[in-house]
Amino acid sequence: MKFSEDKLKVVGEMISHYPEGKQKSALIPLLHFIQKHNDNWLSPEALDYAAELLNITPIEVYEVATFYSMYNLKPVGKTVFEVCQTGPCMLRGSDDIIAYIYEKLGIKPGETTTDGLFTLKVAECLGACGYAPMMQLGPDYREHLTKEKIDALIAEGRAKAN
Amino acid sequence: MGRKLLLDKAHIEGIRHYDVYRREGGYRSVEKVLKGMTPEAVVEEVKKSGLRGRGGAGFPTGMKWSFLAKPEGMPRYLVVNADESEPGTFKDRFLMEFIPHLLIEGMICASFALGSNRSYIYIRGEYWWVKEILEQAVQEARNAGWLGKNILGSGFDCDIFVQPGAGAYICGEETALIESLEGKRGNPRIKPPFPAVKGLWGCPTVVNNVETIAAVVPIINDGGEEYAKIGIGKSTGTKLISACGNINKPGVYEIEMNISVEEFIYSDEYCGGIANGKRLKACIPGGSSVPILPANLLLKTAKGETRMMTYESLSDGGFATGTMMGSGGFIVMDEDQCVVKHTYTLARFYRHESCGQCSPCREGTGWMEKILLKIEQGKGTMSDIDLLWDIQRKIEGNTICPLGDAAAWPVAAAIRHFRDEFEWHITNPSDALVRNYGLANYAKPLEVMPA
Repeated sequence: MKFSEDKLKVVGEMISHYPEGKQKSALIPLLHFIQKHNDNWLSPEALDYAAELLNITPIEVYEVATFYSMYNLKPVGKTVFEVCQTGPCMLRGSDDIIAYIYEKLGIKPGETTTDGLFTLKVAECLGACGYAPMMQLGPDYREHLTKEKIDALIAEGRAKAN
Repeated sequence: MGRKLLLDKAHIEGIRHYDVYRREGGYRSVEKVLKGMTPEAVVEEVKKSGLRGRGGAGFPTGMKWSFLAKPEGMPRYLVVNADESEPGTFKDRFLMEFIPHLLIEGMICASFALGSNRSYIYIRGEYWWVKEILEQAVQEARNAGWLGKNILGSGFDCDIFVQPGAGAYICGEETALIESLEGKRGNPRIKPPFPAVKGLWGCPTVVNNVETIAAVVPIINDGGEEYAKIGIGKSTGTKLISACGNINKPGVYEIEMNISVEEFIYSDEYCGGIANGKRLKACIPGGSSVPILPANLLLKTAKGETRMMTYESLSDGGFATGTMMGSGGFIVMDEDQCVVKHTYTLARFYRHESCGQCSPCREGTGWMEKILLKIEQGKGTMSDIDLLWDIQRKIEGNTICPLGDAAAWPVAAAIRHFRDEFEWHITNPSDALVRNYGLANYAKPLEVMPA
């Protein structure tokens, strides 16, 4: 893995947010950036590259990558549905949404469709309780979910892949 | 209509952008502070306002600021906690998404008061689009000269950076947040030393909630004393409440802390009553970790007084019959909801979010989740209820950070107030799989004991 000059400039800008010698603080934003440009997951090579970019040891990167839920340590589908299932979303029917995705795509939480298009994850509270049920879809939220909206999101995911 | 100090302009078209925000009177507080106040005077004004931390603990902000150590030659930092992750809470997101400059304006005043030349907003990674809105607002403020070197010729330098998290509730705990900002796992630190002495990169640091820092703007503009006139007693000013669950109008409301809980739930200005014509069964008024109350204890205290939306009234009666203001994450449950199942989802949440450092929390949260699921699925025994009670007692107070308490309290309160619903699940397992316990006596007026 090796970044182009343009991407290295972005990394340099990240590091400039902190005082001299505190470049390790850039690790979390850097891992987001690498994941974005690595098919939405962090391979062992990607983690080692992060260590190299920040001049820290690989174990410091592994510790962090395994702690936070937004990092994918295995390949994921092209579209990832992360459906919130915590109390407030449960009160507004998140269980039905998860069941409906299973009905339509045949995947349970943690699974990916055999064509590699969709991954279903369950998430704990995403801070959208007033707009429940909801899911995270890439960098955005999809709120007030209904079966019709799930149908549309599946169609959108299929269209994106073609 | 209650007064709004934070969100009064949030709905103005284009307020997200600097030009409109400035035209509407934005950044006046920075001018006032940098052109005529000392840092000490700013702290004094915040003390006078009675402002209390809006993240959940409710600690007086001015006092927190005055604890900041000021050793020679060492930088100090202001870090804004935008890691909003407490189930039921989505107020900071609203503020940052719709009126981001209010936070930046408050941060410049607070940074001046604390002597922070480099301040950070730590925002949960899932709020990615909000992070981008904030970054744009910071850039606009920088371009307009409100950030950078020698702001308004005052000699004060300040810059703001937005730091994303990556999915971890625990990073809302201030020392875990600092660890995360240093590029590490979000493991809370043992206190003391407190961040005020040894925080970010070993330097004195103040960590404040988004809403707290935003409230500094009206406090500076109108004066601390004016701010303190709103509300009741030690609950001064306005509070953002994010309301969700089975209500007609979920959303974020700014309230003056002088209205009743009943008004908040039923008035059309706020939640608009219970959805689908159902009746109120229970409510968790301050984010998932504060005690759940049945309808009767929610609307009136055990003494028979009207319960108000203030720190003091919500906690009236202690944990035996009261709850907490917490973060203002107001979760409403109607008569069709199952308290056992809801408590189970919260236990699962805390198990998922435990950082794993302390055995009582790491092991206890998993036990609570498993036992609650067992009861919910109709496989529980009566002794499971006592076991649950015992486990939560052994977590509370025995962990480095408050996540342990936060995990224990919802379970304790659910058993305390809804024990018959738990027992019904155990004695009627086949019923419990197909229907819920219902409203039972939870909304019946309580008998008030003569004083």
